[in-house]
Amino acid sequence: MRVFARNHPIWTAIIAFVALVFIWLIFALWPPFLVELIGRKKVFLSALLNGITLGGLYFLVASGFTLIFGLMRNVNLAHGSLYLLGGYVGFFAAEWTGYWLLAFPVAFVVVGCLGVLMQLYVFRKLEGQDLRQTLVTIGISIVLADLMLWVFGGDFYNIAAPSWLSGPMETFFATGTKRSTGELIYLKYPLVRTVIFVAAVVLGVAMWLVLNRTRIGMLVRAGVDDREMLSATGARIQIVFLGVFAFGAGLAGIAGVVGGTFQSVAPGEDIRFLLASLVVVIVGGMGSIPGAALGALIIGVAEQFGSVYFPTYAVVLTFLIMVVVLAFRPQGLMGEG
Amino acid sequence: MENSTPITRKQLAWIERVPGQYWALAILLLLMPLFAGDFVLFQIFGWTFILGMIALSLMFLAGYGGMVSLVQMSVAGMAGYMLAIFGDSAVSQVSQGWPWFLAIPMALAIACLFATAVGWLAVRTEGIYTIMITLAIAAAFFYFTRQNYDIFNGFSGFNSVVPPSLFGVNWRDPVAFYYLTLFWATVSFLAVLYLSRAPFGLALQGVRDNPRRMAALGYNVTAHRVAAYAFSGLLAGVGGILLTWQSTQISPGTVGIGAAIDILVIAVMGGLRHPIGAFVGAFVFVLLKTFARDFLLIVGLGGERFQLLIGLGFLAIVYFSPDGILGLWAKLRDWQKRDPLFEQKERNL
Amino acid sequence: MNALTSSDIPAQTVSENALELTGMTKKFGALAALTDINIAVQPGERRAILGSNGAGKTTLFNCITGDFQPTTGTIKLFGEDVTNFPPQERIRRGLRRTYQISLLFGGLSVFDNIYLACRGVSRGRFSFRRPKVNDALMASAEELVRVVHLEDVRDTIVAELSYGQQRQLEIAMAFSGAPRFILFDEPAAGLSPTERSDLVSILTGLPSHMGFIIIEHDMDVALRVAQSVTMMHNGRIFKEGSPEEIENDPEVQALYLGDDHE
Repeated sequence: MRVFARNHPIWTAIIAFVALVFIWLIFALWPPFLVELIGRKKVFLSALLNGITLGGLYFLVASGFTLIFGLMRNVNLAHGSLYLLGGYVGFFAAEWTGYWLLAFPVAFVVVGCLGVLMQLYVFRKLEGQDLRQTLVTIGISIVLADLMLWVFGGDFYNIAAPSWLSGPMETFFATGTKRSTGELIYLKYPLVRTVIFVAAVVLGVAMWLVLNRTRIGMLVRAGVDDREMLSATGARIQIVFLGVFAFGAGLAGIAGVVGGTFQSVAPGEDIRFLLASLVVVIVGGMGSIPGAALGALIIGVAEQFGSVYFPTYAVVLTFLIMVVVLAFRPQGLMGEG
Repeated sequence: MENSTPITRKQLAWIERVPGQYWALAILLLLMPLFAGDFVLFQIFGWTFILGMIALSLMFLAGYGGMVSLVQMSVAGMAGYMLAIFGDSAVSQVSQGWPWFLAIPMALAIACLFATAVGWLAVRTEGIYTIMITLAIAAAFFYFTRQNYDIFNGFSGFNSVVPPSLFGVNWRDPVAFYYLTLFWATVSFLAVLYLSRAPFGLALQGVRDNPRRMAALGYNVTAHRVAAYAFSGLLAGVGGILLTWQSTQISPGTVGIGAAIDILVIAVMGGLRHPIGAFVGAFVFVLLKTFARDFLLIVGLGGERFQLLIGLGFLAIVYFSPDGILGLWAKLRDWQKRDPLFEQKERNL
Repeated sequence: MNALTSSDIPAQTVSENALELTGMTKKFGALAALTDINIAVQPGERRAILGSNGAGKTTLFNCITGDFQPTTGTIKLFGEDVTNFPPQERIRRGLRRTYQISLLFGGLSVFDNIYLACRGVSRGRFSFRRPKVNDALMASAEELVRVVHLEDVRDTIVAELSYGQQRQLEIAMAFSGAPRFILFDEPAAGLSPTERSDLVSILTGLPSHMGFIIIEHDMDVALRVAQSVTMMHNGRIFKEGSPEEIENDPEVQALYLGDDHE
């Protein structure tokens, strides 16, 4: 980051300024003219927090996608279908066992296994033919989408959060003062969203640590840089590919459970989250986990602010960001270029 | 890519160079209204030619340019929408009511510009991102047409968009529409074929095979790619206008993600090696879509499992014959050339 | 050999060097690939650049063509300062290059490859119209096919050519459009002995106004086609001289004992 600051002093100043403005907006009590202008602070804070937690969800989906692409150069357009499958599987796991937490490992394992099958029986055969692999993922997504529609129908499934996680929690963001006593009123925010967000952050940090501080991570990163070199060193690259694909798929499955809890699981969500992954990695940079995090945050917040403040053009805002990034920095904000 | 004929135009010999199959096909197509009913002419062939043209625009980019673009249906849709907006439709509060000779060129120009802009956004990164970027833009366009009411009339779109009655002909009459779409399909097919051996087309193929070398030879690789998108925009635009006339309406569903991927399926299924592939793929797709319900019921699956059928078929093609139906055809021809009688004779000698 | 010449070669003053590198350095982060390179090649001069792997030869070529931007230093092409010019501008001024790994258009025929190379520096690259029968560019492309002895495979798809034939085509690509100065990057790599002598005859048979620099590991080929030799080591120029001087220099022999008998 220091290198960035040295090389791009103007951008750093702008980003710092914007960050300061945001921090003030979050922590200070808003003067009346601001409330007149933008609306109530509670609305702003809710949108911001919703955006950040949505960003956490987007990060979970997009990081699996970018990991698979980064290592295997495979644009896995079936990633959305994996997400959706995870949602359905997680729903039934939670329903039948009564434990919400079980949904996660079950979804991870089931979708991860599907990923293993895909890698073993489909992608390995088409090794080196990137375009063909991508076309195959399109075919798989069409088939999976229709199969799921057949089996689960068109209903909306909502995964209920467990009782010990439901309900609001008190945050330390002040939204106003009690007129009677002058005490500060703090924003109440759903506990489950906060917990999931924290979990996503923990997972992200864990992934970064594994990639950058362990031998396995080093193998994966070396493979990202130079696939042929890695196989020439004798590392069993097929196992690495298998592991990464399974993990990326499993991640999508977990994201499906999260999405099912936040929102719902239904046909069409696969396309929605595939597109979200695409936009996030286009903005953040392909093959980069920090890039996925940054992109997810930006897109999540933009989407929420858009739907609150410019409802008719919410979608436009997100895609506008994508177009701007493509126009001026085609490799993504944190992509190598 | 097949390359047995030299580049130059030989005036007299070109008639001789066209293979016999093409002549047979041309005669068959020209005489089709004599023995085919209205449904076959209007729905089956009309739709084949239209989808074929849009798939051809993808084939041009992917087969000759190495760029797999999922935005072709959106470009076609843009042309259709602009025609409805600048021309006549039942949505009088948006449609401008321009005469056809102004509305049509305007629609094509905007579609072309849209394609060029998308091209510029998509080509400055590595080829493998093109699918992603164009898919994302196609999605953006879909959502925008669905949410915007001022220009695109949102969820309902535009209806009653009909072709002008030029020369006193009702161009939506099955026979007339058949010849109209056949004409434009032939023109676009011949244009692509001709262009593929012109300097522009050759340069595009060079960019596909080795962009680094092209740059080292003095070509502006980005400019060529963007120009290819512009040309493909024109092809898709014509297809889009005809598509709108066929159903007399255009709505967000026309440019949805499913429709965008259908075009890719058609182009890959037919084969990306030769322009005829786009139309072969379109014909098979249209047949499937028309008769799949009955087929599925016979097989015992529900009639709604059409997507499953298409998906499995697409998977099979990509897995076993990545050159599509044309590839299968080529393999079949090579296999047939091995005449068993001939081999037998050789051994006896 | 008129495929290789052009009536519009600008008149050159004798004092102008074809290629002049002054104080050129190229750093990749902390790694100095090239340090203080000063080279002057006269028009029509045939220079060989030798050195072991990692000496910086290909990096040098990449800086000359414009693929890399040198950290410091200037590059002059026929007296014109091209240091900040993009690659296509240098090509339009008569610079050409071959690559160690042939960069060819695998899906097109031999003739199409050469035609594209000829077209690259001329106008009408975006032309939508097919060329006429007596088109001048077509004629020069046909002749280039003959110059590199590939007439028999004129219509063959490049992906189906043998390795040696592909290398011949790679050289033909550099001859297109009347070049004034060519950079050959290990043209003999992987060729059979017959193919190597074919290569030497093609190179020595070039018109006298056309200068080139050749990077080679095969000392035999390099010393037979070159008039002067520059020796590089660890990114610096180690020695310069005539082929005989370099071949017999004791320091060179000490440094590369065994290397030059590949």
